[in-house]
Amino acid sequence: MPRALEPQQTPAFFVRGPSPLARLVFFSALSLALIATDSRLHYLTEVRQGFIALLHPLQVVANAPFNLYHASAEYLTAHNTLVETNRKLSEQALHDGAKLQRLNELEVENEHLRSLLGASQIIAQPARLGEILYMGRDPFTQKMMVNLGTRQNIKPGQAVVDGDGVIGQVTRVYPFSSEVTLITDKELSIPIQVERNGLRAIAFGAGVDNVLDLPYLPVNVDIQTGDRLITSGIDGVYPVGLAVAEVTNIERNPDSPFAQITSKPVAGVKNHRQVLLISIPEIESALGTVINNTDSSAKTGKPAEKNSTTTPIPAGSASQNAIRQP
Amino acid sequence: MQSANLKHVYASMLLAMLFQLLPWEGLALELRPDFMLLTVIYWLLRAPHLCHIGTAWFAGLLIDLATGGLFGQYALAYAMTAFLAVSYQRRLALFNIWQQTAYVFFLLLLTQTTAMVLKLFGGNDFPGWDYYLHSFSSILLWLVVILSPIGVEAPPHKS
Repeated sequence: MPRALEPQQTPAFFVRGPSPLARLVFFSALSLALIATDSRLHYLTEVRQGFIALLHPLQVVANAPFNLYHASAEYLTAHNTLVETNRKLSEQALHDGAKLQRLNELEVENEHLRSLLGASQIIAQPARLGEILYMGRDPFTQKMMVNLGTRQNIKPGQAVVDGDGVIGQVTRVYPFSSEVTLITDKELSIPIQVERNGLRAIAFGAGVDNVLDLPYLPVNVDIQTGDRLITSGIDGVYPVGLAVAEVTNIERNPDSPFAQITSKPVAGVKNHRQVLLISIPEIESALGTVINNTDSSAKTGKPAEKNSTTTPIPAGSASQNAIRQP
Repeated sequence: MQSANLKHVYASMLLAMLFQLLPWEGLALELRPDFMLLTVIYWLLRAPHLCHIGTAWFAGLLIDLATGGLFGQYALAYAMTAFLAVSYQRRLALFNIWQQTAYVFFLLLLTQTTAMVLKLFGGNDFPGWDYYLHSFSSILLWLVVILSPIGVEAPPHKS
């Protein structure tokens, strides 16, 4: 036996398990596999839901001191502050009530006009009041968590608004909470309309606090600083006419075919703790009728379905324009 | 030196997770120290037989869950930091507290950079240089905890 060829082994004085390098390689491979599975295959949704549900008690404990602080602050409000807010609120209620009386009348009239034009009816979208649990912790995304989840029948895709305007959209739902992606997130875009002239566009989140971009609009587009942007309702997720943002800056660079337009969202996510989660309108009945009409051939099923979802929208927007023109 | 056992490690990690889960907002969120990472580095340097790369990886996975990002991003960053911490752990005993602090600061910056690179691969944008404020606040917290007489012993060092 040639002893010199035997591998030299370092004596293990203490049992230390696998070497750090071996462990690093193992856990790195595991993390890379997890990243790939999560980003490409979407197998881990249930796993994430389970873990978040397990973390929920810890989250409740972590939120407890802040809830206690808010509760005691509410309890210890001075008498004159209460009287003052009460007076303000009743004044506000009077103003709003007067406006609402006109709104009812206008709604009936609008419905009547729409039925005369044969346009699709605006669907009522009930909403639920949710409370913000905490703002997202990831500096790379614009998110927040609210306290409603699958237990309260919240579904991914629901629009989230507050009293001033649109906040964002529900992207992930957990048993007791759900994740809302804000409209300022880089991944989210929202179909909008300029309130002044009805111009439609899509606003994209800039990934920074309080900035929305309006890319792909020509240099000579009719937008001014201070224009209000409202939802156009084309997507079928956000109801028509909610305030989204206000144009803050327009840069018309003659070198570029597109104008650089930035706007500032009007919703004050940081000012209050309650938000409204608007349910997604059900359009199954409309789909069903069109599919029944064209169920003869399986091949045309898909285009027909596509048409059925898009046809009501141009009709609706055309009618809006028709009403706006006179 | 008081001997540490597994109970201490996991209790402190639970506490760190609780601090991590507090509803931080705005500037506080930007300045928040990375409690979990500090706890993990502390145990890696003080008791590597109790807290090794696997523990750090699991802690990173918890942070992934809490931030809502892709599974495995922070886990990988934590595991790589843990590898560096563990492989220089015995050499670190020859350093004094300030040199140790510098090394911990390097580990904190490295973790943030690794996590950022992974996030950038995932399609996110660079969030700006104030992203690194976490490391600065974390190292301040490290110093305060190590130097103050509240019963937390520094990792073994040349005094």
